[in-house]
Amino acid sequence: MMSNLTRAERANAMVIAGTGAFIGLVMAAAGRGDPMGAHGWIVLAFCGALFFVVGSAYEDPEPTQDRTASYYDDPTKVGILIALFWAVVGMGMGVWVASQLAWPDLRFDAAWSSFGRIRPVHTSGVIFGFGGNALIATSFHIMQRTCRARMPDQVTPWFVLLGFNLFCIVASSGYLMGVTQSKEYAEPEWYADLWLVVVWVVYFVLYIRTLARRNEPHIYVANWYYLAFILVVAVLHIVNNLAVPASLTGAKSYSAFAGVQDAMTQWWYGHNAVAFFLTSGFLGMLYYFLPKRAERPIYSYRLSILSFWGITFFYIWAGSHHLHYTALPHWVQTLGMTFSVMLLVPSWASAGNALMTLNGAWHKVRDDATLRFMMVAAVFYGLSTFEGSFMAIRPVNGLSHYTDWTVGHVHAGAMGWVALISFGSIYALAPVLWRRETIYSWKAVEWHFWLALAGTVIYVFAMWNSGITQGLMWRTYTESGTLAYSFTDTLVAMHPYYVARTFGGLLFLIGACIGAWNVVMTIRRMPSETPERDYPTSSESREPALPAAE
Amino acid sequence: MMKFIRTLLKPFAAFFEAHAKTHYRLERHSMGLTVGIIIAAGVGGFIEIAPLFTIDDTVEAAPDMRLYTPLEQAGRDIYIREGCYACHSQMIRTLRDEVERYGPYSLAVESQYDHPMLWGSKRTGPDLARLGEKYSDDWHVRHLVNPRDLVPESVMPQYAFLLEAGLDTDSLPDRLAALRAVGVPYTDEMIANADSDALGQAMPDTERSDGVFERYGDETAVRNFDDRPGRLTEMDALVAYLQILGQLTDLPEQTQILPEE
Amino acid sequence: MSVKDRDPLTGHQTTGHEWNGITELNTRVPRAVWFFVIVTHVWALVVWVLMPAWPLVTTYTKGLLGTDQREEVQESIAVANAIRDDWSSLIADLPVDEIRADPALMAPVNDTAHALFGDNCAGCHGSDAAGGPGFPSLVDDAWLWGGDADTIMETLRVGINATHPETRYAQMLAFGEQGILPRDDIRTVVDYVQSLSGTGAPADRIAAGAEIYATNCASCHGEDGTGMAEIGAPNLRDDFWIYGGGDEAMFETIWGGRQGWMPAWEDRLTVADRKILTIYLQDRAKETAQ
Ligand code: HEC
Ligand code: HEC
Ligand code: HEC
Ligand code: HEM
Ligand code: HEM
Ligand SMILES: [Ca+2]
Ligand SMILES: [Ca+2]
Ligand SMILES: [Cu+2]
Repeated sequence: MMSNLTRAERANAMVIAGTGAFIGLVMAAAGRGDPMGAHGWIVLAFCGALFFVVGSAYEDPEPTQDRTASYYDDPTKVGILIALFWAVVGMGMGVWVASQLAWPDLRFDAAWSSFGRIRPVHTSGVIFGFGGNALIATSFHIMQRTCRARMPDQVTPWFVLLGFNLFCIVASSGYLMGVTQSKEYAEPEWYADLWLVVVWVVYFVLYIRTLARRNEPHIYVANWYYLAFILVVAVLHIVNNLAVPASLTGAKSYSAFAGVQDAMTQWWYGHNAVAFFLTSGFLGMLYYFLPKRAERPIYSYRLSILSFWGITFFYIWAGSHHLHYTALPHWVQTLGMTFSVMLLVPSWASAGNALMTLNGAWHKVRDDATLRFMMVAAVFYGLSTFEGSFMAIRPVNGLSHYTDWTVGHVHAGAMGWVALISFGSIYALAPVLWRRETIYSWKAVEWHFWLALAGTVIYVFAMWNSGITQGLMWRTYTESGTLAYSFTDTLVAMHPYYVARTFGGLLFLIGACIGAWNVVMTIRRMPSETPERDYPTSSESREPALPAAE
Repeated sequence: MMKFIRTLLKPFAAFFEAHAKTHYRLERHSMGLTVGIIIAAGVGGFIEIAPLFTIDDTVEAAPDMRLYTPLEQAGRDIYIREGCYACHSQMIRTLRDEVERYGPYSLAVESQYDHPMLWGSKRTGPDLARLGEKYSDDWHVRHLVNPRDLVPESVMPQYAFLLEAGLDTDSLPDRLAALRAVGVPYTDEMIANADSDALGQAMPDTERSDGVFERYGDETAVRNFDDRPGRLTEMDALVAYLQILGQLTDLPEQTQILPEE
Repeated sequence: MSVKDRDPLTGHQTTGHEWNGITELNTRVPRAVWFFVIVTHVWALVVWVLMPAWPLVTTYTKGLLGTDQREEVQESIAVANAIRDDWSSLIADLPVDEIRADPALMAPVNDTAHALFGDNCAGCHGSDAAGGPGFPSLVDDAWLWGGDADTIMETLRVGINATHPETRYAQMLAFGEQGILPRDDIRTVVDYVQSLSGTGAPADRIAAGAEIYATNCASCHGEDGTGMAEIGAPNLRDDFWIYGGGDEAMFETIWGGRQGWMPAWEDRLTVADRKILTIYLQDRAKETAQ
């Protein structure tokens, strides 16, 4: 891996890692007695290790082959492996979180293991650790392939990938120490937030520079989605995380906004984290791997345009559906509700576009579990967006809000859509990336598929049941017109569903472990193979791969 | 009918055709796409958020609205640290059953000084917006030490360590100063005395506690919240915070029709 | 778009581009999509016209219906109040006996008590009202302040040692902590108090304990230990204990004192609510006594 870097690049990497280590040291010293100090040590260890790894290979021979003859895939490989690691960690945490609600004493007698602290480790672990790494890794792969251009340099992709993971590590370790801003999906404290801004700007620049070097006249749809993901997440992140630290040597900060304005900003962020992190980015993934695997053209370019701009424009308005009937003014709720419903059309248009692309390839869906992952992901995407738009209607939300129905919806999207499309893509990608003949065990992929599907279905059905049961019990009236159930009555009614959910989650987790194992075995055990056509045309010559259209 | 629908569709189709054409050109320019995305995604957020700062009746006027004392604010920070918001909402919605179960629906002004708000998105446990003074301090301490001692059905975690953890009061002046920087009207005096006031609120009948009444009003609850004399613990702070929930202003009770049975 | 291919399967044209093997068809947008675009947009327009929707700089469009969520919920509560008024005002006004005699009034009492107790009282007194360490059982027919309806109603209204200005005060002195009695004496009086409810102990210790009791305790718990309802001093002769009748628990009580806090419910629960709870508790106590 190091042999693909020139000395100059190694030197650059060492300067960056050294600077990081220095920052870590400063944090450790300044933040003594505060969790920030512990974070300083973590940063120091992370950057110091990188410095050491690069430094010890500094004198190795430089690359000799012509770089422009191949894509730069090393960061993608590492990114995929890290994504699988986070999948196991994040979903393992999910199972633990779930079991604590069924058996609350299933924990250590220490502060770090309480529900409130490990829950965000789960959510950030799966969304950012698993999802984020999968997105970054596949985006590197896809942008090079669809641009027919190599990435412009070899240090920035590493900076993006490893810098992002440093953010994830600081975030999750922080939650265990009680470092959180409490804003869902934006919990990390101010210094982690600042760091992510730096990483993200570099990511954007890298993406744009690669696009600028492309040898295709047109930018492929997958890249529109990745671009929207990068850009909008940057805007959301910066605005929602505006905060004033209590002290520059401590972790605690107070958000710039308060009360109703803060709530609206948070859910503008939170909802669009769903839209641009969990949807837009993964649609980019779908748009590349599904047609590639099915070997079918995308069903409709026009539909792509409609759904892309529809999603980009309508999603942003929908955040207020998280605040129905609250102290947020009624007018904002009306906008949130109506835009959520209008949003359904572009959402389904993209799911439909994916499914129609499979026309002519359904026999492959039947035979190939990898493609089946993608197909089912598209179905769950359609399902969860339909459900979301339904739940955004005020009276429906009156019932569903605050209950497990939301959690069921979340996991229909998160497990059924986000995780399944990622696994499908990883299975499609691994042999290409590591130049292997095929995946180590197709049988294991089958197993993974059915475990994942069964797990998702059990989870989602359990949560629909518990959510709707609880929502209804809260508002059940006696004949005298008074409340029939106490809160505790509803709590008792949840227990069987919480057990079932834990079981479903466990199946899903087992599947993910099998997947990680299978990828590792593919790398270690499968004979290698040189692909036929997987190299960029010379970016420098700027020669189109096909004659320019028009 | 079909024809009518088709006529209806026409302007849409025309718009879309034009859009698709522009798009075909736009998708050849990465910066063009970038600008397009930022504009398309910028509109909604701006239109929904900016007016919340300019429309007057977004936040009600509550002249009696009081600030969190340093001890209560420290408790709030612990509430955040422990992730209580993951299970508890602090937002009673404008729905009949919620008002009947939890009390008057929440007003925007009640979280006017909440940086950040803790409205929550999941009710694994009950809403806490009107919790203040519903239970005794002793109940809260015992409940936090082990919820299942008092409520056998509970799935809430134990927080016994809060009783052992001494409260860090040194950082309180900085915290209050940061809160003032984001708009909470703490005075210089409040900031300067933040650590002493935190101690004083948990030590009734001392000089320190007099300072608390002076700065935060006679209604302030000055009690030894965790019943452990001589030591200011995180439990003191958290219970002080829980006991103030819903007590910052009387506006909701004064202005709403309440359920009668 | 010059270099266009046709997809052999569908016969549709592609857009003429190819990205690492991926092509796109130029299929037109299906009618159904446009149909739903129209339906959702028209619906949204209608909602915007009817409901508060669009912000202007310092105000917003109120909508033709003039609805507001706050007014809506206030209205629904007013309606519910009016409907419940059939029985709630009677329950609030009538004495307990008359309510009991009227099945039409007992129906709402029985309907309502469960959730009312569950959401407000069960946290302390347990969902079966049987109490627990530090919280008295409400179904054992042993009352600190008296079990008649008026007394219970008053206890609920003002609480015990609560923040209500008229709250009931109940204070068990901290004999040990305040240095009134030495450790040994407390051990001795514990033996005596336990003997009141029938536990055996050496006769000389009981005699010594009785003496300590008479000088220190009788003023509140009565000469014979049957308690004093006026000050909430519990009966020590029965076998019901709030804090426990064992050696350690009772030593703890007398050493450190007790001051149970029962919240006041005047601001949280209506008169009818409190009367419903009173009837419910009395009935539960009677059931258990049988
Ligand atoms: C795993 C979810 C969970 C977490 C985390 C949690 N709670 Fe709870 N909480 C519950 C449940 C369930 C109940 C209802 C049963 C009970 O009273 O214990 C409850 C009840 C309560 C009550 C009683 C409310 C009432 O009106 O009866 C209070 C107060 C409370 N919690 C405070 C807290 C605080 C403070 C924290 C954080 C330090 C916290 N909770 C964390 C689940 C949770
Ligand atoms: C914070 C805990 C707590 C809550 C909540 C609570 N109680 Fe109590 N209650 C107590 C304690 C403690 C006592 C005993 C006070 C004492 O020891 O002097 C008590 C005493 C009582 C008594 C007097 C018993 C007697 O023997 O005279 C009644 C009646 C009662 N509670 C009913 C209720 C009802 C009804 C509710 C709900 C509306 C309720 N309590 C809620 C803690 C609580
Ligand atoms: C000032 C009046 C007063 C005096 C004097 C007093 N008590 Fe008490 N005692 C109370 C009150 C009031 C309670 C109930 C406290 C509560 O529940 O909050 C109580 C409670 C108790 C209890 C706990 C009962 C239970 O159910 O757990 C015991 C035991 C007891 N007293 C014994 C004694 C003994 C022994 C003495 C003398 C050494 C004594 N008391 C002197 C007022 C008094
Ligand atoms: C092994 C599988 C999984 C299990 C057992 C699991 C379990 C859980 C549990 C128990 C919660 C907390 C719910 C609550 O507070 O009541 C939760 C929340 C959440 N999980 Fe998972 N999860 C799994 C997989 C995933 C995946 C793959 C993702 C995303 C890619 C995900 C994203 C989330 C999110 C976003 C939330 C927060 C939901 C909310 O706040 O409404 N989960 N999960
Ligand atoms: C058309 C698309 C969608 C709409 C309109 C929509 C709508 C909603 C609504 C109404 C809620 C409940 C808010 C509440 O009551 O608190 C919600 C919650 C949520 N949705 Fe969706 N949803 C959509 C798609 C998705 C997808 C595809 C995913 C995931 C991958 C997703 C993830 C989530 C998450 C994580 C939450 C929980 C937020 C929280 O923490 O409270 N949504 N969504
Ligand atoms: Ca943050
Ligand atoms: Ca949530
Ligand atoms: Cu949303």
